[in-house]
Amino acid sequence: MGAKTLVCRCEDVSLLDLEEAYKEGFRDMESLKRYTGYATGFCQGKGCQAHVARFLSQKSGGDDKVTNPTRTRPLLHPTPVAMFARAGEPELIDVTRLEADTQKPQTGEDAE
Amino acid sequence: MKDRAELVIIGGGVVGLSLAYHLARLGMTDVAVLEQRFLCYGASGRNGGGVRQQWSTEDHIRLAKQSVKHFRRLAKETQYNIWFRQGGYLFLARDAETAAFLEKNAKLQNSYKIPTRVLPPSEAKRIVPDLNTDGIEVCAYNPTDGVLFPWPALWGMAKYVSKRGVEINTYTQVLGLDIQGGRINAVVTNKGRIATRRVVNAAGAWSSQIARMAGLELPNKPYRHEILVSEPLKPFLDPMVSDLKTGTYFSQTMRGEILGGISDPLEPSSMYTGSSFRFLARMCASMSKIMPRLAGVKVLRQWAGYYDETPDGQPVLGQVGEVDGFVQMNGFGGHGFMLAPAIGEITAKWLLRKSDHEVFCKYNLDRFSKGEIQKETFVIG
Amino acid sequence: MGRRINFLDDHPFDRGRKVRFQFEKQEISGYDREPLAAALIASGVRVFGRSIKYHRPRGPHCMRAHCSSCLMQVDGMPNVRSCQTMCREGMSVERQGGWPGSQWDVYRTVDWMTPKTLEHHGMFTQSAVINRAAMRVVRSLSGLGMAADVATAGRLDAQVGFSRVKPDVVVIGAGVSGLAAALAVAESGFQVLVIEREGLPGGRLLDGSVQFTGDGAEILSGWDAWRRIRPAWDERPQIQLHAETTALAVFLEQHIQVLACGSSDCMEILPKRLIVCTGAYEQGLVYPGNDLPGIFGLRALDRLVFRYGVVPGEPMIIVGESDQALRLALMMAEQGVRLGGVVTQRCDGELVHRLMGRNIALYQGRKLVRAHGGRGIQRLELDSQEQLDCRALGIDAPSSPAYELLHQAGCDVTFRSESGFMLISDDEGRTRRPHVFAAGRCTGTMPLEEARLQGERAGLACVQSLKSARIQTRASSSR
Repeated sequence: MGAKTLVCRCEDVSLLDLEEAYKEGFRDMESLKRYTGYATGFCQGKGCQAHVARFLSQKSGGDDKVTNPTRTRPLLHPTPVAMFARAGEPELIDVTRLEADTQKPQTGEDAE
Repeated sequence: MKDRAELVIIGGGVVGLSLAYHLARLGMTDVAVLEQRFLCYGASGRNGGGVRQQWSTEDHIRLAKQSVKHFRRLAKETQYNIWFRQGGYLFLARDAETAAFLEKNAKLQNSYKIPTRVLPPSEAKRIVPDLNTDGIEVCAYNPTDGVLFPWPALWGMAKYVSKRGVEINTYTQVLGLDIQGGRINAVVTNKGRIATRRVVNAAGAWSSQIARMAGLELPNKPYRHEILVSEPLKPFLDPMVSDLKTGTYFSQTMRGEILGGISDPLEPSSMYTGSSFRFLARMCASMSKIMPRLAGVKVLRQWAGYYDETPDGQPVLGQVGEVDGFVQMNGFGGHGFMLAPAIGEITAKWLLRKSDHEVFCKYNLDRFSKGEIQKETFVIG
Repeated sequence: MGRRINFLDDHPFDRGRKVRFQFEKQEISGYDREPLAAALIASGVRVFGRSIKYHRPRGPHCMRAHCSSCLMQVDGMPNVRSCQTMCREGMSVERQGGWPGSQWDVYRTVDWMTPKTLEHHGMFTQSAVINRAAMRVVRSLSGLGMAADVATAGRLDAQVGFSRVKPDVVVIGAGVSGLAAALAVAESGFQVLVIEREGLPGGRLLDGSVQFTGDGAEILSGWDAWRRIRPAWDERPQIQLHAETTALAVFLEQHIQVLACGSSDCMEILPKRLIVCTGAYEQGLVYPGNDLPGIFGLRALDRLVFRYGVVPGEPMIIVGESDQALRLALMMAEQGVRLGGVVTQRCDGELVHRLMGRNIALYQGRKLVRAHGGRGIQRLELDSQEQLDCRALGIDAPSSPAYELLHQAGCDVTFRSESGFMLISDDEGRTRRPHVFAAGRCTGTMPLEEARLQGERAGLACVQSLKSARIQTRASSSR
């Protein structure tokens, strides 16, 4: 009765789903996330990032091939819109001289 | 990766893939698509999935209308659900000038059989019961506009073309363009060289960088645009709602999440995709004002992508005189997704010499030096 | 299923006053300093809601707001974490999802009809017409809870305030390492703002089954260790603790900017220095049935049983190798909880012998393979093919570092299969970003004692950094 092995409980993503995604060619953390939906749910990856990374590590031949989890973004916990509606106009931070993507590239496929 | 192709498309986003898709449908499959990271990495994977036909210029209206026809069939054609829901777009005008703008555009859209209606706020409230009508002059509503989920649109087109022999190369960065005697000769990448006579620059925010490799200066500038998404909730909002005063837009996705963004007139051009507190605060204030019920909705995540913007808000298409074989397909300024299918189709036909289209003259790069520009100002987010 | 037991003699927590609230058609009693989830479990509720895709039954799992297994509708607000919401007199609680309800849900048949998976990418794509019809059905089933109405949203909106503060140092997390860091900073005279998501500081020290080796190799219970530290903490006016306040984001582009929210206030914190001590998450193990109600992380179970005095089910089984796992089993047995057994790789040691002495079944050298059950765990299957009767399960698995805040701000992490992604910091707690420090379990697996030392070192390094900046400022202003 429903013997799925779930890796991501928020989005009901199973180990089999990861295997299928990998077969379809989605072989890095970011692509796996988008295709299977892991880490896109309510907990935003707190319960599943390491599990998926372990899966990928096994597939790609080691921990050093898994360089990054999926990109972490605000907010750390779901918070009502009301909480931020009274903050006025926070100042604009000058980002023109900053690097586009500060995070290291993902697994395996990257030539960098 | 193959070492020669009839055509190389730089950029595996919705524009590049739409072109590959239509070329494949017309029988041309000796094509290599080069994507610098993974599919969905660029703006095509970061947008809110909005698809509208409410535009202020005829070309945009026609292209958007044609694109909607394509999107309605795309899931079946590619066997990938793109979750396209035509729940409509509701635009809000807060002053007489914007009201006149909406009225004028609605008439233009109607002339193309797009059923946009101009409504008083009380009628808009029947479509969006939670709308705060304070300060709203007039609204424009088109029920055939909608929202889709961008990622599977990309995967679907990629799979469709791959099955027919087109090569999709991810994690492939273009390092240079080999030009000889004023003609494209090859594309140099981190995975090797591809000999080709034609290259399409569909690189979105990176288009200027690519163009420079051919000695071409594009007027395109990338601008960070932020976006947020909420917890998944049961359906309570049908259309995409957009407030033209602030460029705020939001809709409810097929997963039940409220997804949207807001314009920031102070944001400078940059390649930065980090998130900011400024966006969060401004967007939440705007959402609560437009629809007070949203104050209780929990924000789950915010991220950012680029709008590849041109001075007149119109794309850069076609081939420019200096480099033979180098075709532009960029500058879509935040609405590439909703125009891509139509642009992909006409560009495919043009490339195969099947038919010409005035957009390749009208939206050619040389319009900036010729001074022939017609601005598209109906931009949000 | 669930029941209440007595607290341990040295139980230090205040449970609050008894309150009565409405849960669907029942009236439930609880205490106003205990979470809703504990009160409901004590009243026998197992199924708290249904999962988003397959409508699988779910119940509390982490007990500290890290997962999404305990979400309920509370006073009209959807998707509320019942493990973090305290009981309130007259509260109205409903389950979300499922038809006709969460207890008996017709949509669960999707789970049974798709033993492998529901392939949502390609389903119903045979024709455009069928696809559009299917989309309408999918949309009607989407979402977890229903958005609160405008009146409820308005009440929340009316309460909210915003403030901007500029302490010398902000410490995120008041667990063992955060406490040590904050004390080190305060002892040097600098102002330190400590943000802690829980209602109380202390982190792992608040677990009933934890032991801490203090100064002079004295072994203390977590609660005793906390009682020892408390006075030093309380007597430092430089320390300002904001409990029930969650750090939501860190921005490091121009200066350090920390965004935090309490229950009705939003804070923008602009400190000179930042020390991140966010600890780690219990991720559990991956095996079929791992999402059944009644399955808890080890620390979650500890909290439920020893802090709130609620036993979620019996027979209770513990799976794990650590001292804390064995001690938890032993302590529960001593409190009269019926243990179904302990599944462990541990073969000897004092704790193992004490368990044997109490005739608790030890399944040594075995591994858990599958959890069976319909609407809650019923049976645990081991690799030895044994099937153990089980109504509550505590799993001790390696905790995964809570790296997110600094990763979001652009700091690097590194991955190790044994634990997960961890923040990179040197021995003094320094990260690659100037003025930003990290200590404790967010930088890797470590025992409490090591976490405390790391926190102390990070605090001292932070003080050093502040002092040199002060010297520099004085030097340049005196020119």
